[in-house]
Amino acid sequence: MTAIFFILRIFIGLVFIVSGFEKVISPYQNFLYVIQAYQLFPSWMETWVAMIFPWVELMIGIFTFLGLWLDLSLKGALLFFGCFVVIVGQALLRHLPLDQCGCFGEAIHIPPQTILVFDSFMLLSVFWLMRHFSKAKILSLDRHFNS
Amino acid sequence: MILSKTKITVLIIGFTVVLVVIIKMVLSHLANPIDPVAARAKGSLQAKVKIVEFIDFECPACARGAIQLKEYLSQYPESMHVQVKYYPLMNVHRHALQVAAYAECSARQGKFWPFFDVLMSSQASWSQLINAEGIFDQIAQGAGVNMESLKSCLPREDVSATIMGEKSLGRSLGVESTPSYFINNKMVVGTKSLEEELNKVLPKRTK
Repeated sequence: MTAIFFILRIFIGLVFIVSGFEKVISPYQNFLYVIQAYQLFPSWMETWVAMIFPWVELMIGIFTFLGLWLDLSLKGALLFFGCFVVIVGQALLRHLPLDQCGCFGEAIHIPPQTILVFDSFMLLSVFWLMRHFSKAKILSLDRHFNS
Repeated sequence: MILSKTKITVLIIGFTVVLVVIIKMVLSHLANPIDPVAARAKGSLQAKVKIVEFIDFECPACARGAIQLKEYLSQYPESMHVQVKYYPLMNVHRHALQVAAYAECSARQGKFWPFFDVLMSSQASWSQLINAEGIFDQIAQGAGVNMESLKSCLPREDVSATIMGEKSLGRSLGVESTPSYFINNKMVVGTKSLEEELNKVLPKRTK
């Protein structure tokens, strides 16, 4: 049973790593195009979000995966998944013409409806890990440093 | 112990940043230069604004971008040079490859632009069809393309090789979505960014 917490933490970390890494190695303009499609941010802010967001995403992934500063990285993951749910949800409610969510760049194509379900599930998973924080810390660097 | 944890944190962040920078440098080093293709280029070669667009002919934003660029070009014929490159999204658009072949074969007869202009302005009418060959034939005929040569050109391997070669070129330059533009080598994606960038590099338009 305890292994589930570990596997879930690694999975959440990998989701962020894959998603963030794909975005940081490709030109930021590609992600900017995705952000523009959601019609949520003012123009001046879109470029900043496109440049900074993937790096934060990647770092949250690495830290969650390694279990370093796990309390903070899980809070970050919770915030991100919460934002994803709101952003994708509002796009669906407004019937914005989105073929795919753009969450993983060109690497993986997922329709917004599917990603909304996925993100909601991930949001609950992160919340569950936070509720059982001591078990989520299994094989983590935090545990190594605190021992 | 806290210091060690801080040190390892800094090391991880530093390592990640360096790794990403190295990967980006390698990728940009591997990117191929963009060769101009005269048959699919328009405007003055001495123009101060050189645009290369990577498009899928069936993508709605690409059609909007094409119309947008045509308007700009009519206002700034001396200041702009526009070139079209193929980036068909076969997994999204059913006619993507076929219509690119029509465009390439029209280009080989020097009829790319008349074909392209009608094709993009009528995109909504053919993109919904299961079989759009009839419409493509009509557009090509209207553009003055020799139909016999066109039909023998369409299945040729070098035609699909040209199209896929340009898609690979786009990928090597970081293109992931259409329409992607390189305006004086600066990448912009989508029509919103295209307009913003053109308004920066071109003198203000009179309304």
